[in-house]
Amino acid sequence: MVRSALGQRSAAIGRGPRAGADYVPASTVLIGSMVSLLPIVSSTGWWPDWGLMLLVAWRLLRADAWPAWWAAPLGFVNDLIVGNPVGLSIALWSAIMIAMDVLDRRTMWRDYWIEWAIAALFIGLAELAQWRVAAILGASVPLSMSAGPAIIIGVLCFPVAAFLAARLDRWRLGR
Amino acid sequence: MAASAGPRPGWSRRAQYSLFFSFLAVVAGLIVGLILLILSLVAPQSYATVRGAALDVTAPITGALSEVTTTVTGLTSGAGNYWDAAQQNAELKRQRASLMRRMVEARAILEENQQLKAALQLREQTSKAVATGRVVGSSFESPRRFAVISVGSSDGVAVGMPVRAPEGLIGRIIEAGMLASRVLLVTDRANIVPARILKGGQPVISTGRGDGTIDVRPLEVGKNPFKPGDIIVTSGTGGLYPPLVPIAKVIRLDDDGAIAIPIADPSRVSFAIVEAPFEPTALAVAARPDSEAP
Repeated sequence: MVRSALGQRSAAIGRGPRAGADYVPASTVLIGSMVSLLPIVSSTGWWPDWGLMLLVAWRLLRADAWPAWWAAPLGFVNDLIVGNPVGLSIALWSAIMIAMDVLDRRTMWRDYWIEWAIAALFIGLAELAQWRVAAILGASVPLSMSAGPAIIIGVLCFPVAAFLAARLDRWRLGR
Repeated sequence: MAASAGPRPGWSRRAQYSLFFSFLAVVAGLIVGLILLILSLVAPQSYATVRGAALDVTAPITGALSEVTTTVTGLTSGAGNYWDAAQQNAELKRQRASLMRRMVEARAILEENQQLKAALQLREQTSKAVATGRVVGSSFESPRRFAVISVGSSDGVAVGMPVRAPEGLIGRIIEAGMLASRVLLVTDRANIVPARILKGGQPVISTGRGDGTIDVRPLEVGKNPFKPGDIIVTSGTGGLYPPLVPIAKVIRLDDDGAIAIPIADPSRVSFAIVEAPFEPTALAVAARPDSEAP
């Protein structure tokens, strides 16, 4: 709603997007990938992938957060930072962008629960792909011990990512 | 709420084309990603350089952050230690006396051991530390169990070298950057260590379970040889890991093996010591990506 002239706060008039607003979404995804640089030495790998969660949160919020193809370079950086096999996030994140384009065309209306369900689907598929790739590379761990808990924790943490994306969106657009 | 506010190009041809090319580019990104993924599954060493460089860029950040957390925890635990200093002092004095007695016993055993070895004319290579670093981070977002240590190829670290702490075995190097390297922990599923039970010396195989515990199985089928509390040490078979380094302690038995917890917990150890392979020829074998340690 750009009816700021009618709003309470007249100071809102003349405030536009911040400088570099176009690059805020992509850089928050980068920062999300960098969460894995925190000096946490954990014996399990159940923590959520913040890069992926912020990517999904931004894409659910806006289709024009970044040009769709930026998912590939962002995924490459994520692979290098997190230490995944190179190519895993590139392929996954590009596929998520394409799937979201299709979803945007097929769905007319969606509420928060549907968005959460879509995000849960993407997070689940991503964790399963990671688990499968680890198995191919010689580390076939039972599902209940790696991908299962990781999916549950990731899905439960997604609202935090969605909240962050929504607040950052308002901040970058100066609303 | 309507579907996410998409780029609606309207009548502008330029905007329509740019949207279409962006779509083509993301499809190309997907294909390139799949090709890169297949390459990294088939030949994991093909990205060694770029991944090593990424480690060099990111590990100093992790190292600096870990410095901060170490300082903060040091301050709090330091204050806690002052709190009950008198009681701790008495406790430590008692422990010191008992340790002194055991040290004398151990020294006597060591002397005897040296004499016996000299009698047997055993040639033993003393393993020398290549580099000593700190464990600064781990792969807490991935099903694999990796740790990052703060020494790299500029310190002489090479892929395949065993990494240990004073307490016990940590794992082996799988990626070496200039300043930092990545360690495949003994708790990773792909890390298979030839080992034996300290008491009795029965040969076993230790495999990670991916959740911070280790699966140990006897090499010979038969009666389950484990007892809770058994210490598992490396056997030195294969020549990569030096013999007699503690790996894990058995906590629970299952049908034909046991589950153990690692003795050197990477989140607690103060130093990670990178050693040269016990037998230098083992490095060539270990450098092969798909080799499951000797």
